Amino acid sequence: MLSKERNRLLCETGPATPMGELLRRYWHPVAGAAEFSRQTVKAVRVLGEDLALYRDKSGNYGLVDRHCPHRRADMTYGFVEDRGLRCNYHGWLWDHTGRCLHQPFEETRHPAGGFKDKVRIKAYQVQEKAGLVWVYLGPRPAPLLPDWDRFYSRGFKQIAISEVPCNWFQCQENSIDPVHFEWLHDNWSRVLRGEDGTRGPAHQRLGFDEFDYGFVYRRIREDTTENDELWATGRVCLWPNCLYVGHFEWRVPIDDEHTLSVGWFTDELPGDKPFEQDVIPCWHAPIRDERTGRWIDSHVMNQDYIAWVGQGVIADRTKEHLGESDRGVILLRKRLLEDMAAVAAGHDPKGVIRDPGANHSVHLPIMGGLNRPAPKDGPRPFPFLAGQPEQVRQEFEQAWRNCAAVSEELTAGG
Amino acid sequence: MAETATGHPRTAREAAEAQAYGLTSGDLRAWASFAPIEIYWALKHHLTPAAARRWAREGLRVGDTVRAIALEMTPGQVRLWADAGFAPCDAVEAKEMGVPIETALAWRAAGFIVPDAALLIHDGWTLEEAVHARYAGIAEEDR
Repeated sequence: MLSKERNRLLCETGPATPMGELLRRYWHPVAGAAEFSRQTVKAVRVLGEDLALYRDKSGNYGLVDRHCPHRRADMTYGFVEDRGLRCNYHGWLWDHTGRCLHQPFEETRHPAGGFKDKVRIKAYQVQEKAGLVWVYLGPRPAPLLPDWDRFYSRGFKQIAISEVPCNWFQCQENSIDPVHFEWLHDNWSRVLRGEDGTRGPAHQRLGFDEFDYGFVYRRIREDTTENDELWATGRVCLWPNCLYVGHFEWRVPIDDEHTLSVGWFTDELPGDKPFEQDVIPCWHAPIRDERTGRWIDSHVMNQDYIAWVGQGVIADRTKEHLGESDRGVILLRKRLLEDMAAVAAGHDPKGVIRDPGANHSVHLPIMGGLNRPAPKDGPRPFPFLAGQPEQVRQEFEQAWRNCAAVSEELTAGG
Repeated sequence: MAETATGHPRTAREAAEAQAYGLTSGDLRAWASFAPIEIYWALKHHLTPAAARRWAREGLRVGDTVRAIALEMTPGQVRLWADAGFAPCDAVEAKEMGVPIETALAWRAAGFIVPDAALLIHDGWTLEEAVHARYAGIAEEDR
């Protein structure tokens, strides 16, 4: 249970809020790089700020205020140039740093006036990594964008993005809540499959270990021991708004009532020959079943979404009753409250990387290891989200066939 | 929630995990029975294997041991809480949040686990207020 004030502290992410300030110390993924092969400008709302994300003709990304500082026109209807984004209303051109490069009529009338040097558009830093477009909305100097080791492991990668209509924090609490897996995913899936009456293995013990980039949570179920990877390695609540279980699930606040769920997945492929993927596909996953109007419940992350939105747009934690299964959740809250205090005192919060020497293929604990063998029975259907486009499924299966063929040729050739 | 040191044998995968944390074979020998991530965290915080084992006997994992030592706790203090039926890590949480065992016992009797109670107490809640809030909207006779 939390007081109303504490709940607000944890949930509100707008500018000048304590959690907003904390989250603005990290890079956040907001789009797939592949999306910019289809469009050049995209409207994004991040941490309550309306922005225009673009890639100009030189290939450089920019993230600027959604509204042109001139007359407030919508910059997402602007057009990219070799350098920067030009407003479609009166042609003012802005670069990625927020400088105005061109004001056509002003410069015609007052060539030496220099008005363009006296105005700025709000601009934030952008980077592309691992097929994702990342943004940083905090004070400079920005920390380094983490270079996780999983980004480099061999496999077919894909990105799936959903917009979930609830506050980010109830999504992230799910990242350190081991027992929910037993009920929300295992047992409920059995019920949905018509197997009511059978139950999955029950949890017996939980453990939590802090490390540089978050917490590892461990579990022992009635079918596992300390030797099992569920305990020995565990899974990661990645700071401050991600779950890492071999794939990543970021929970990026759009605003206080909506969350961008950004999933980054790797499917292992047969053999061990290098596999290169020119473009990491990015698709948008539906969360509602259009036929029934109900939330989709068929896939793992969809089931999570149902739990999150079911808690209310912003979960009312003044009405909750926490028990032993919630130790991780309490740990998360306490640590984030400490981090907010650290930021307010001018310090870096947990997990921020500033040393370039420490930011090469940064290790995260992973059950099964980084280079896990591909399933022996062939490519499996995507289990995490409903709505995978047929084209992505085909790309994956083609990659699988190609790798399997190479592997068989090598085996046949001795 | 029991919290003991991980007592499993080294595997190839664990060896790879250890390598990723920059641990040496000497580290692994010295820290036999601890998970690589625990060893990494222990070394980072200058915890010795002997001290980690001593606290592990009280049921504390390395992370909580580091906190306990920073709080200048003794293993006996942890045992006191464990003997009262609390998770060993509760002793550390309570110490960090300034909650005495008598208070924790009273809150536990009302159904509040230590970390939940500690945050509420830290925010100035009394047990009576917390219980009242818990039953908000529930008829008196149904409580």
